[in-house]
Amino acid sequence: MSEKGTSDPSSPSQLRRHILSQAVADNVSEKAGERVRPQPAVAAPPAGPRRDRRLLWLIPIVAVAALWPLIKGGDGGRDGAEPNSPAQELGTLRGAGEPEGSEGAGPVVATPLFDAPKPIDFSVIPLAVERIVIDPGHGGTDTGTTGGGLSEKDMTLDIGFRLRDELEEQGFEVFMTREDDSEISLRQRALQANTLRADLFVSIHINWIAQRSVRGLETYFLGGTDDPVLEALARKENRESGYSLADMKSLLEGIYTDVRQDESRQFASHVQRSLYRSLLRQNPQLRDRGVKTAPFVVLVATEMPAILAEVSCLSNEQEAKLLARPLYRQHIAEALSRGIRGYADEVHQSEAKGS
Amino acid sequence: MSDSNVINVGVDLGTSRSVVSGSNGQRHVIESYVAWPVDMVARKVLKKSVLIGEEAVKSRTMVDLHRPLERGLIKEGSEKDLAAVRELLRHLLELAVSSAPKPKAKTKAKGKAGEADAGPAKVRAVVGVPAEAMRVNKAQLRKALEGAVDSLMIVSEPFAVAYGLDALLNSLILDIGAGTTDFCLMRGRFPTEDDQRTLTSAGDSIDEYLLKLFTDRHPEASVTIYMVREWKEKHGFVGEAQGKVEVTAPVNGRPTTYDITDMLRTACESIVEPITEAMLDLLPRIEPEFQSDVRNNIILSGGTSQLPGLRPALEKALDELGGGTIKAVKDPVFCGADGGLAIALDAPDSDWDKLS
Repeated sequence: MSEKGTSDPSSPSQLRRHILSQAVADNVSEKAGERVRPQPAVAAPPAGPRRDRRLLWLIPIVAVAALWPLIKGGDGGRDGAEPNSPAQELGTLRGAGEPEGSEGAGPVVATPLFDAPKPIDFSVIPLAVERIVIDPGHGGTDTGTTGGGLSEKDMTLDIGFRLRDELEEQGFEVFMTREDDSEISLRQRALQANTLRADLFVSIHINWIAQRSVRGLETYFLGGTDDPVLEALARKENRESGYSLADMKSLLEGIYTDVRQDESRQFASHVQRSLYRSLLRQNPQLRDRGVKTAPFVVLVATEMPAILAEVSCLSNEQEAKLLARPLYRQHIAEALSRGIRGYADEVHQSEAKGS
Repeated sequence: MSDSNVINVGVDLGTSRSVVSGSNGQRHVIESYVAWPVDMVARKVLKKSVLIGEEAVKSRTMVDLHRPLERGLIKEGSEKDLAAVRELLRHLLELAVSSAPKPKAKTKAKGKAGEADAGPAKVRAVVGVPAEAMRVNKAQLRKALEGAVDSLMIVSEPFAVAYGLDALLNSLILDIGAGTTDFCLMRGRFPTEDDQRTLTSAGDSIDEYLLKLFTDRHPEASVTIYMVREWKEKHGFVGEAQGKVEVTAPVNGRPTTYDITDMLRTACESIVEPITEAMLDLLPRIEPEFQSDVRNNIILSGGTSQLPGLRPALEKALDELGGGTIKAVKDPVFCGADGGLAIALDAPDSDWDKLS
């Protein structure tokens, strides 16, 4: 008498088929979300009709037996951690997080905060700046500041286009957050840059300074500020974001140590220097108001070195007149481009074409 | 659905290495590492958003490195690890499907007609995972992997081995891998939980133990788990040493030679006892009339099973039960993936349809 296994298949190929069908059934039930275990030991494969019938009434018992470990929540010392738990959303990517759950965590910065990069010694890594995102401030119903018949949104877009041409000519890959007079939220702007995995982010704005005699240039990178004037400015620029400055401040505590800050500071000083030096010739009364930090939303939510340049002041009549001239706007664009280029070259040995 | 436009693949997603075997004749092995650059700078330098295998390990200073099936299972709730498993599978499929030159057919079993011709082929995959992951993470695994293929079947790795070797009746698969050692009793049915057992005494536990032994004795030397793993893979053994094992490790930057023969043996042998214990506990539970059959039909697979001296040491432990035979599989690297492929080829279209 030949020995048989605990089951009794009549031929090896039948056994294969039988086991295979069990494997499929197991997968099908798993797919359907049922937690049905493969048949336990008592349920031997079919041997004859009579046995089959007996098995029929065994089924409920079998089912209970199969599920018992689940019910008990353990199986002989193993801890039966079951994957029944609500399946985690897979592959959630980082990015300027969407506002889910209020938690006091400002959606815009939530993800970068928790996914903060580990510091790296930049000096050992030659970084090529290739992709740059230009962000012409304001747009649509949000005109930005106005003066001398000009509005900020138009000026920033015009300078943005000019800057794009300049940078593209030098071989950079350039994207703009808007290319027409459309209204785009600050979050959306940052998200675009993050999605594009841009290397640099440049936001262009025009200032309005209460002391109207002042013609000033300033470049910002991300940071906190105690200056009430800057707070007011940040509040103004952040208007569409929907978060109070107080909220921002607490969120920012964590991000100030971000590696980006150093990068952004250098980036900002390159651009500020270039702007001031270039424009001083056209505009001798120009004041260098320097590199500053402020919690602008676009700077918070972007993941790459990012700056916000206030390239001119519409509050000053003379300056507004200058700004009305295309040539002056071209000068601004070129100055920005030189600053960006300078940063890319000096700090990171740019591999961009045309070096 | 005609066969001509289908590629069947068997995949072995292991803790340490992952293997794919396709019906088009493609066979590939990669290390089961998946990595994402830590930040923008790293991404720039590496010029990739995901790195797989050796490349991932080499770049480990700049990446977030994952071995998704550490200890044989996906860490609970770790989205990164789930994503990593998916990337791993995707990469393997790319290797098998995309890089295939002219698909040659007829690899296995029924020898299905050649999948040639035009059109993107449908991919049917049988993925073998550590038995523990099957138990704990199966639903999550299915979710993570489903998108990567047209039809998917997940089985436990030792089952795939058993199927590939046609050892479906009265055999014991002893799969000693990196993260886990899996026992799978084949008794003529799709193995239930009762038929399987998992230990974490496996390749990784040897590495960790060896690292501890070494750093305890030579605190001055700098070594990493990766170095230790390499030592083990090159020189590891159980039982009699074949000669002195010397390795070099830097001390204050200067390469220094160390004799690790004894600690290497101690570390490697550390898995023998738990494995034999489990084996000696499992075998007597089988119905008495089949015990001797099973004892003489123990099949050893998995990367760590290749440690010289391990098989005889385990076999010797069987003496306590009246002796037995342990056979090592011929192709320990591919046997799991080949088994998966055999399942894929054997499963009728109607079954596959339910799984797509």
